[in-house]
Amino acid sequence: MAALSRLSPREQVDFTFLKTKLALTDGNLGAHIVTLEQAGYIAVEKAFVARKPKTFVGITAAGRRAFEGHVAALTSILNPS
Amino acid sequence: MQLSSEEAARALAAIEASRETMRSAIRAHRGHYHLWLWGLVWIAMAMLAEFGGLAGIRLFRWVSVAGIAGSVLIGLLQSREIRSPLDKRFFGVLVAVVFFAALGPLVLRASPDNQGVFAYCGLVAMLCDVIAGLWFDTYLLWLGLVVAALILVGLFCFHSLFWWWIAIFGGGSMIVTGFYIRYFWR
Repeated sequence: MAALSRLSPREQVDFTFLKTKLALTDGNLGAHIVTLEQAGYIAVEKAFVARKPKTFVGITAAGRRAFEGHVAALTSILNPS
Repeated sequence: MQLSSEEAARALAAIEASRETMRSAIRAHRGHYHLWLWGLVWIAMAMLAEFGGLAGIRLFRWVSVAGIAGSVLIGLLQSREIRSPLDKRFFGVLVAVVFFAALGPLVLRASPDNQGVFAYCGLVAMLCDVIAGLWFDTYLLWLGLVVAALILVGLFCFHSLFWWWIAIFGGGSMIVTGFYIRYFWR
């Protein structure tokens, strides 16, 4: 979610690229994506690029809100008002 | 779940690390190559005009063609790991704007009189109709295209009858469409 939160609202990132950048395994990232997609926090789209199947992942508005809430909650633990 | 401040700090640091990784990846995929290219194209055109005068200005179209070819090439070579799916309506608006923008100078050069100015203003209004049609309701798109075509036909083929033409076919088209929408639209 942290990585996806950097994307613009309409941007999507390739699954393999994300996996490499975050140094995750297929299974690990795949499990994260399934859970987050079921929660409505990310949107997954499958497409053919140069005749090869690719999976693209983007963050939804709900996902962005939830992530920002999570960061705010963590920050409030560090800086209680 | 209660987190200690150390755990929260670690979580925030992990988040920031992921975001930074993604930030640098996104930076590498943005359109900076296109901006560099078109910056150079504009500099080249300005310098051609400054030092080459009219002969330099005549080269603008070739410099533009080179820029467009360069942009297409960059687009083809750019990796596709991060993408923004193209909204067809947005693409349609771009095409409409470029098309109508190209008509403007054509109309004003060919007919630098009141008819030409009216035709230009009418085309701008029809561009708005076309965009509204792409976004909201198809009839506006067709109305915009048909009336724009009628304006051009009137201006170039029936210049001496232009005002009658506009009254009957331009204004008439809109009124007829209004009646159609009010009474027959399903």
